[in-house]
Amino acid sequence: MKKNWIIILFLSVSVLGCKPTYYTHQVNYLEGTAQTISLRCVGYGIDRFMAINDAEQSAVKELLFRGVPLSQQKDALVSTNESESLRKNNSYFNELLSKGRYKTFIISSTPVSDISHYKGSLKQITVDVKINLYGLRKDLEQNNIIRPFGY
Amino acid sequence: MKKSIFLITLMIASTLISAQETSTVSGKKLLQTVQPKIMVIPYVKEGEDLRTILEDDVNKRIAITKIKEAFDNRGFTTVDFAARLKAANANAAFSMENKSDFKAQIIQSSGADVYVEAEVNVLLSQSGNQVKMILTAYECSTGNSLSNKVGESGKFYTDDIGKLASKAVESCAEDFLNTMQNKFTDIVNNGKSIAIYFGFDESSEYLMSSEVGNQGLLLSDELELWMEAHAYKNNYHIQGTTEKQMIFDDVRIPLKDENTGNNYNPNKFALEIFKFMKSLGLNIGRDIKGNTIYITIK
Repeated sequence: MKKNWIIILFLSVSVLGCKPTYYTHQVNYLEGTAQTISLRCVGYGIDRFMAINDAEQSAVKELLFRGVPLSQQKDALVSTNESESLRKNNSYFNELLSKGRYKTFIISSTPVSDISHYKGSLKQITVDVKINLYGLRKDLEQNNIIRPFGY
Repeated sequence: MKKSIFLITLMIASTLISAQETSTVSGKKLLQTVQPKIMVIPYVKEGEDLRTILEDDVNKRIAITKIKEAFDNRGFTTVDFAARLKAANANAAFSMENKSDFKAQIIQSSGADVYVEAEVNVLLSQSGNQVKMILTAYECSTGNSLSNKVGESGKFYTDDIGKLASKAVESCAEDFLNTMQNKFTDIVNNGKSIAIYFGFDESSEYLMSSEVGNQGLLLSDELELWMEAHAYKNNYHIQGTTEKQMIFDDVRIPLKDENTGNNYNPNKFALEIFKFMKSLGLNIGRDIKGNTIYITIK
């Protein structure tokens, strides 16, 4: 009986743990050219380093799967169907996002606020991220994630 | 000891090699795309001559160059309008009387699939000068609009209109190209537009209301049924039918032959029409200009 209760408790904890948590990264367009785009984003993490990484990653994700209103990249670079794109090109996005290859497309990343407490052990920081849009697009084209310009 | 140093060196080397492999682009084969031919031309008002407008106005030349530069940045080469213009001037086949028709002639002769029209408006005022740019991309065969954007330079106290024109293009070029690319993706998914004109030779004994084939259907009905079956994903539109003419102003054909994977083009579609007309016992003549097929029933 006691064993069953432990299993139920373990399952409940793991189910609750799996519930996705979404944070608003408040990605805002600052400026851009044909080659670069600058975004101001909020990053979350247990320390300053993790929070800055999170802000950078959210900026890249916003470009890939959402598009940035008021900029010239209003449409998502890849697709707004994020889960489908991630499933189809699992190895590419694993390398780009999870393993940190996205950092090779970041020109500069400047914190514009002090790190502050957000919730629980999480802290937040606001960062201005400048991304090499031209390079990112070329990389997506060369890896057949998006079609090159044309038919 | 020596053996352990060798093993450690080997491990470090293999780690470095694998790290290098992951940081480079994977060696996937690039998607093969059939590239449309795109030409950038200046907008001309009623009565203006396309031949002199570029020579007279450096700002229009700057605007066109900046638009071509945006295409180049996406790895795309455009058809050079100035070169086509010079060739056209040397070609006696081009009508010199009709100025407005000259644009249609030059687009047709260039073989372009898409043309981009750039309108440059210079607004001078005491609070500063600015340039507004209207960019419109059209599909040559159907006249369908592919992308429309308005770019603004913003007001500056400067007489350098060329620089303002350049800023106006930069403010909208990427957005303009992204919209075009969305339409191109639609073309990949739903087929490329062509127009088909069916007409009759003067000496022809047939009309669109003539009964043809074994089923006793009217010629116009036979044509529509065939088009329904052969247009890509049944995408076609009839502009109109009269006794002497039937116009399909938008028929979608695939970019690639689904069976062979080879490029598919209006010539191949015209061949299919030719075979079908033969099966109905009709002799035809066919002309293909760019993405438009003209069928003349004899």
